[in-house]
Amino acid sequence: MTWNYEPAGDLDKSLAERLRHFPREPDISVYAARSLVALTIRCWLRLYHRFEVSGVEHLPLEGSFIMVANHASHLDTLCILSARPLRKLHRAFPAAAQDYFFVSVPRLAVAAIVVNALPFGRHGHIRNSLEACRHLLESAGNILILFPEGTRTRTGEIGEFKSGIGLLAAGTEIPVVPCHLAGAFEAWPKGKKFPRPRRLRLRIGAPRKYASLSPGKESSGRVSEDLRSAVVALSEITGLNSNFPS
Amino acid sequence: MVAVLAVAGLVLSFLRWGLKKEIASIWATYKSWLIMAPLVFGFVFAGRAPVIIFFCLIASFGFKEFARATGLYRDWWMTGAVYLGIIAIAVASLIHQPQGAEPGDGWYGLFIVLPVYAVALIVLIPIVRNQVRGQLQSIALAIVGFIYIDWMFGHLAFLANANNAYGYLLYVIFATELNDVAAFTFGKLFGKHPLRSNISPKKTWEGAIGALAVSMALPWAMRFSFPQFGTTQLLLTGLIVGIGGQLGDLSISIIKRDIGIKDMGAGIPGHGGILDRVDSLVYVAPLFFHMAGYFYGLR
Repeated sequence: MTWNYEPAGDLDKSLAERLRHFPREPDISVYAARSLVALTIRCWLRLYHRFEVSGVEHLPLEGSFIMVANHASHLDTLCILSARPLRKLHRAFPAAAQDYFFVSVPRLAVAAIVVNALPFGRHGHIRNSLEACRHLLESAGNILILFPEGTRTRTGEIGEFKSGIGLLAAGTEIPVVPCHLAGAFEAWPKGKKFPRPRRLRLRIGAPRKYASLSPGKESSGRVSEDLRSAVVALSEITGLNSNFPS
Repeated sequence: MVAVLAVAGLVLSFLRWGLKKEIASIWATYKSWLIMAPLVFGFVFAGRAPVIIFFCLIASFGFKEFARATGLYRDWWMTGAVYLGIIAIAVASLIHQPQGAEPGDGWYGLFIVLPVYAVALIVLIPIVRNQVRGQLQSIALAIVGFIYIDWMFGHLAFLANANNAYGYLLYVIFATELNDVAAFTFGKLFGKHPLRSNISPKKTWEGAIGALAVSMALPWAMRFSFPQFGTTQLLLTGLIVGIGGQLGDLSISIIKRDIGIKDMGAGIPGHGGILDRVDSLVYVAPLFFHMAGYFYGLR
């Protein structure tokens, strides 16, 4: 009788290499650690930042989708992850800068274990990174979280959206959900060591599809612009809302 | 221990810079020892509860490697059950004996009977999930993982409750690891006849006999670890470490060879995985535990 062993693909890699490796092959202990940290983060966001979410009903119930949002601080990823139920946490993959999060071991541990990040090459390697994103979206139930500005804003304004998101979405049936997080820039701007206790509010918009567009450079620019205006529109709704102190 | 590490460092330095030999891999192994040894001994001296938790953590890392190597890690239920079992080992070692003739720290009866409960729990999982395909393999792997790697190694955790815990633990760990190093050294120097050619082609009779000789002499040299031991007990200690250590090493090699991998993991530079390091202890720990318990009682 022969048994069928299927060892983990990253068995012979050191700890740092294993954290860097994507897709990851975690076992239940990683899931347990991630859930526990996520629970703590959720409590922290609710208590310290009085975090609120609206528009959860817009999130597709089935299939893979992309969430895009403005990027003002490290809190953004944590907030968007907190909008998902805990049991679906492990299928959400925020794209994180390879040159920032996938260098030192502590950052690697945060990126791989806590956030479950997909390494995204901002300089060069963009094609490979987009390929990894596409591969992720092929299996149903995965969520890709993207910040199309490519970096945290320095001014609090929403910057230009890069065309990568357009290349992913144009000509496909993958829904893209625009989100806007208000208050993150005031709470934890780039360069500050610790977050301040400012209110955070995440607004999730209606999903968009770009199946009618043919994939290409021109259409991807249009997708990026459309998504940016959708996020800006969400930010304006937030601003008009009187129960949200400016 | 400090002396052994210092002498080894001097010898290796001489080989490396004096004779310009290529020993990069051994050097990596040695550097890892320099980190591991103080860590382990630090935990042992930190007290009963820290050492129990430390050994249970090592057991869970060991099981994690085993699960990743065999593919069992994809089955969350089975691995979850085994992790629960490890927590049970820690609890049984930590709590006070509730009743009975032999009160003291650690619930001996529960600890000894844990495999029964663990097997019952593991067999229950396919029933609850209403699954058949491939379940015999999962059940068998989970049982081997729990009993062989975790519970047998976990005897070290329960040994922390013994009257002479520091002496026992420090001696067993030190002697077993020295036995490994001796087998490697004697094998490198004189090795000719393979010990078990199909299982581990690099291990030789010369290495095994050399290691046994070292392990037989060591109990007398380190008699201060267990002042109450007579000749019989010292002799048995030497045999347990000298033979048990080799057997533990070989039995993990069977697992590795059957799967077709070289090391269980790559967690410790120069050593492989954690399981590659503690494999001998898995065999030695329960044997020494019951030998000491038979003659002197464990608490």
